[in-house]
Amino acid sequence: MPKFRKPNLRRISASPVLVTFFAVALGLVVGAIVIVVTSTPVLDAWRGIFHSWGAPGHAINMTFNHVGAAYRDMFTGSIIDPQTFWHALTSGKGWPAAMTPISETLTYATPLVIASIGVGICFQTGIFNIGANGQAIIGGIAGTAVGAFVHLPTIFLIPITLASGIAGGMLAGAIPGLLKAWTGAHEVIVTIMLNYVIANFLIFTLLSTSLQLPGQQNDLSRTLRPGAILAPIFGASTGLRVNYGVFIAIGVVVFAWWFLERSSLGFEYRVSGANPNAARVSGIKPRRVVIGVFLISGGLSGLAGITQVAGTTHYIDGGFLIGNAGIGFTAITVALLGRNRPMGIVWGSLLFAALGVGGRSMQAATGIPLDLATVIQSAVVLFVATPALVKELFRLRATSTSAVQLATQGWSS
Amino acid sequence: MTTTLAPSVPRAHKPGGRDRAIGAIIVVVGAFVTWVFGIGSSGRANTTLTFDPVNISGTVPWHLANLTVSSRWTNVALGLTIIAVGVEILWRRAQRFVTLRLGGVAVFFFFALLIWAGRTHGPSQVGFINVTSILVGGAVVAMVLIFGSLSGVLCERSGVVNIAIEGQFIGGVFFGAVIQSETNNWFYAAIGAAVVGALLGSILAFLALRYQSDQIIVGVVIVTMMSGLSSYLNLQVLTPYPQYNAGNLAPNLPIPLLAKIPVLGPVLFDESGFFYVMIIMVALISFALFKTRWGLRVRAVGEHPDAAAAVGINVIRTRYINVIMGGAVAGLGGIALIGFQGQFTVGITQGYGYIALAGLIFGRWRPSGAVVAATIFGLSVYLADNLQTYQIPVSTEILGMFPYVITIAVVSGLIGRVRAPAADGLPYKRD
Repeated sequence: MPKFRKPNLRRISASPVLVTFFAVALGLVVGAIVIVVTSTPVLDAWRGIFHSWGAPGHAINMTFNHVGAAYRDMFTGSIIDPQTFWHALTSGKGWPAAMTPISETLTYATPLVIASIGVGICFQTGIFNIGANGQAIIGGIAGTAVGAFVHLPTIFLIPITLASGIAGGMLAGAIPGLLKAWTGAHEVIVTIMLNYVIANFLIFTLLSTSLQLPGQQNDLSRTLRPGAILAPIFGASTGLRVNYGVFIAIGVVVFAWWFLERSSLGFEYRVSGANPNAARVSGIKPRRVVIGVFLISGGLSGLAGITQVAGTTHYIDGGFLIGNAGIGFTAITVALLGRNRPMGIVWGSLLFAALGVGGRSMQAATGIPLDLATVIQSAVVLFVATPALVKELFRLRATSTSAVQLATQGWSS
Repeated sequence: MTTTLAPSVPRAHKPGGRDRAIGAIIVVVGAFVTWVFGIGSSGRANTTLTFDPVNISGTVPWHLANLTVSSRWTNVALGLTIIAVGVEILWRRAQRFVTLRLGGVAVFFFFALLIWAGRTHGPSQVGFINVTSILVGGAVVAMVLIFGSLSGVLCERSGVVNIAIEGQFIGGVFFGAVIQSETNNWFYAAIGAAVVGALLGSILAFLALRYQSDQIIVGVVIVTMMSGLSSYLNLQVLTPYPQYNAGNLAPNLPIPLLAKIPVLGPVLFDESGFFYVMIIMVALISFALFKTRWGLRVRAVGEHPDAAAAVGINVIRTRYINVIMGGAVAGLGGIALIGFQGQFTVGITQGYGYIALAGLIFGRWRPSGAVVAATIFGLSVYLADNLQTYQIPVSTEILGMFPYVITIAVVSGLIGRVRAPAADGLPYKRD
């Protein structure tokens, strides 16, 4: 940018919130482009624009209709459907139906918040935990094993189930932590490879151990005992799936805030992330930090996994957290979107949960594949990770909003 | 995490703790091979090795007689050799050819496993080990991994971490498959795949070099985006129009005479064109990087960009060119993969991009080292996918973990401390 340009007072200054807002808008634009270039009717309409005078208008109309329908279905499927809402408001009946979209979004967001907080704490320490998905799977397996086999009253069984989920996640998180601390193995590769190992392990446990549903040939686990289930808040009869896991997520957010902002350990972690050299000089032991943060992050991911099982599915199958359902991968993007801060992560989770849930109803209504949500999410994060680009595009006044930067630079040590 | 620009401290040539650990691990592996695969198998069990490739389309190599060996004593010999390597590392620090030595250990281990699995009266109904077809299977996987590692060499030698190799593979696989199905021409498909890879590389370069975004974040997000996009396009385009995913295989182009050499011929000289392109690229990039002025400049940019800039090298431009070239090479890896897999399916790359990245580290940022690493990884991936035919008493899923566990073991420094290009991954800002 040339230095002699006059300061333009009308330019809005770039706050992180504003940059994020524009990033989301840009992400939706990218999604719209993807929809347009892959929809045959729209492409046909554009191909025919020279055939008649009305054709260009028709093509533009088609484009907006198509994209509009997709995004409208996303909105009504994830937040609120005005029609059913209006019906409930006027007649006083059908409230569960009106609340279903938002309940689904909250259900989806619950484990996502927990996993994203785990990833975010790692990011703040300068550690890149891509293994959240694998850790969540292990947490889910461990928690399911306990919740399906142990006979105890609910008041004991739920904590034990959740605790074993946490323990499983910690175990899976300890591997990259220990390897990074003692051998310098880069956590990015180790965690990604562990994800593949754990995906194999999941199928192995479902096919070859006693966790498999008896009499079943497929990769399907036993169901949790009723005492281990996180019940729906509004009762099973309403059909609203939002469950008491929400309170676990709120608890995790409060814990993360306290940990990062108020505890001395959290302070050490953040110093290590902000400036590893300063941290080392001031006596913070890097090895302990790496192992500790991976234990915390893995534990939270494991909690996310078992919350998903105990709250929503009540059993695991071969598709548990695989593909589109991989909350551990979405958690990475959510943490970046929320700038690794607990409240930012809450908003980011709600947004990405809405995209995921809405994507499903979009797929049902318009046939546009759900994977569009992944494309939009990653586009959003690319823009969030590059605030300078967003500022240039929207000519925002530069402020000191820094990019999401990690200390994970270079490979060795 | 830290960047020290000071020259690395000269190392003592005595075995350190890490070397002792590596040596000990190798000795344990050797003892395991000797005991379980060797002594453990019956003294009268034999293993037959065959050398005539199966499924040959054209060239038949000269026949090599089957070789029947005693399973027990062959494996004892292999195990003792592995122990000897371990003891040597325990005894004195290996100075050179460390990669090769560990590669040898891995190959011996696989060989012993196969001899044990294919023994007579063993669990397997297949009473022989077809050495040639195993090597051919490993070689095609290795080819893809080498493309990925070469992409990494180009990017990281200039100081940019390219974690997006997996995404570039996916891009090359998808668009390569579509273009090939549409034009029925592998050359056009290769060009298309390279262009897609280069485009993805230029996104990485643009965000990382112009806006100094974190390279690892951008790379990981590119992979996420490509896996989402390929799955989306698969449902939206390939499912309704299956003619865009015809599933053709790249034809083999046997080199006359050389292809007739037993074992080596089918592995090295009876491959698809991509294999030969890969070999040429390894030679070309090795030469260019270490023997030309261009290579010196690239390495200077990757080691000390400020110094490079001070002598008049355009750091940013060098990095742009290298990252985009690297993307194109990774895109070629994608089309090479579709050349032997045929049809595009979601998740077809199975993390090969990351394994290639690990191979790059194992190969110490050299094309030649990457070849050794990719051979080991390629063999292990192929065996993990195919050992089930020998019905060894381990379940498919456990075998499927094999390549990934090896990758973790490798990056955990089975090879000792590696040194990346000093400025690898650091953003560079022009003053």
